Amino acid sequence: MSDPVVVCEGLTHVYLRGTPFESVALRGVDLVVRRGECLGLVGPTGSGKSTLVQHFNGLLRPTEGRVWVDGVEIRPGTAVVREVRRKVGLLFQYPEHQLFEATVFEDVAFGPRNLGLDPEEVQERVRESLEWVGLDPDRFGPRSPFSLSGGEMRRVAIAGVLAMRPQVLVLDEPTAGLDPEGRREILSRVRDLHRKAALTVVLISHSMDDVARLCQRVVVLHRGQVFLDAPVREAFAQSDRLRSIGLDVPRVTDVLLRLKAAGLPVRCDRLTVEEACEEIVRVLQGNRRWSSSEA
Amino acid sequence: MELLRSLTIGQYVPRASPVHRLDPRTKILATTVLMVVVFLARDFRGLGVFAAFLAGAVVLSQVPAGFVLRGLRPIWFLLLLTLVLQVFFGGASGGTVLWRLGPLVATREGLVQGLFVTARLVLLVVSTSLLTFTTSPVELADGMERLLNPFRRLGVPAHELAMMMTIALRFIPTLVEETEKIMKAQMARGADLDTGGPLRRARALVPILVPLFVSAFRRADELAVAMEARGYRGGEGRTRMKQLRYRARDLWAGLVVVGASVLVLWSGGP
Ligand SMILES: Nc1ncnc2c1ncn2[C@@H]1O[C@H](COP(=O)(O)OP(=O)(O)OP(=O)(O)O)[C@@H](O)[C@H]1O
Ligand SMILES: [Mg+2]
Repeated sequence: MSDPVVVCEGLTHVYLRGTPFESVALRGVDLVVRRGECLGLVGPTGSGKSTLVQHFNGLLRPTEGRVWVDGVEIRPGTAVVREVRRKVGLLFQYPEHQLFEATVFEDVAFGPRNLGLDPEEVQERVRESLEWVGLDPDRFGPRSPFSLSGGEMRRVAIAGVLAMRPQVLVLDEPTAGLDPEGRREILSRVRDLHRKAALTVVLISHSMDDVARLCQRVVVLHRGQVFLDAPVREAFAQSDRLRSIGLDVPRVTDVLLRLKAAGLPVRCDRLTVEEACEEIVRVLQGNRRWSSSEA
Repeated sequence: MELLRSLTIGQYVPRASPVHRLDPRTKILATTVLMVVVFLARDFRGLGVFAAFLAGAVVLSQVPAGFVLRGLRPIWFLLLLTLVLQVFFGGASGGTVLWRLGPLVATREGLVQGLFVTARLVLLVVSTSLLTFTTSPVELADGMERLLNPFRRLGVPAHELAMMMTIALRFIPTLVEETEKIMKAQMARGADLDTGGPLRRARALVPILVPLFVSAFRRADELAVAMEARGYRGGEGRTRMKQLRYRARDLWAGLVVVGASVLVLWSGGP
């Protein structure tokens, strides 16, 4: 649980350096992603989340600072980068926009083929990845990716990344633009991958509910700097700090905070609906017992 | 990866300079005149005067000089090729021989000629990019439309041409961004874009071009719907919010350009 997979040290990224359009996206970010954890990466729009994760697999070159993956420093332009791209699977925002093959099967096979695997191995990985994302390989494999629904296309794109068999899966807003059913589906698949396949997951999301449900730790970025790095419960307990930079807390936490403000002595570090229910019941029953014993 | 974005040709640099404030028609006409002049200049003295004038214009426009020169980066290969071809084949036979390379003979005259043609190309590119640096796409299209208007009777679809140009210019950065994103996404899946022979490289383009076209068509569709939803019906009877008007400064700018042109041609002439 504790050994680091991805380490960033003093990571600074400046886009379009030396032009009138220069913009600093990251300033001295120190961050450790530990093996086997599910890390939530949140922050207001433009805070540098997407920029940060592109450093995890060498797609961007640090302006300053260093990045290690699995103990090896990423130096762009070296063979290390290929290895790193295999270890860290990165799913971009709106990944369905990158589908290009005639069939779902071929599209998912793109990654493994780039690794130079033999056809049987490719076939096996494609089937396995499609099953992981809940798409029947026999039914969906031969279809055109462009004939699928948005949620299905997104799952094909995720399968395309999983087929690389990465150790770390980075998801950039995987549920953006999906309906509630599609969101639930994707999130439960990600949870399965994290729990059953022991994958390290980095989840970028604007939904604090999703982060609360899935992640053990939260890193909050603000204007390119780490604003907060704490276990979920501690992080969401600091609702005022989060709200000060335009973020929110999960709805469950919000409800508990309001109950507390209204005078009910609940603890606010509960994250799921079940936990919150228990807590409210506990407090209410405690109250009743207390008041009945008084009577 | 940011290479694509370093394509500065055609990019607008918002500033509040006197050059930016000129009427776009003035700038388009001036650029056209300058393009002709740079081809009429016959020797280095002429080009020197031209370069001095252009440097003045760049300083006045407040666009960083380094940024202007970056615009030359995508064409450095073309410039180099021009220079090499001119050095070996441009000079008249029987000039002063500088060095030989097998059947290839570089002459002094060829070298001079090569430098001249290259300098001419550089000046041409810088003067046209100064136009786009200092004129927003909308202004540029407006200016074009107004300049082409008199030719409507000859069947020139001025409004449509201008609209096409606006849209194209507007979407260049979007497409560049999109290309960059798709390239990254495929690289994250292990795509290797820059090794292997020409056939492999051409094949490696498929995973980028297909999504790019799909997204371009989607955008075109959305844009058409959005335009129609806001009542766009082509140029007929369309009025504009910003009326173009020539001002005194346009007259002055015109005089300066004509003056500089005369100077360039005269200094090079007999
Ligand atoms: N390719 C690029 N070129 C120039 N600037 C960029 C580029 N990509 C991002 N930026 C800038 O860098 C900053 C950080 O952007 P980034 O995309 O990392 O933010 P984000 O946290 O992912 O935001 P969002 O929640 O909207 O996805 C922004 O100010 C953005 O304008
Ligand atoms: Mg982002």
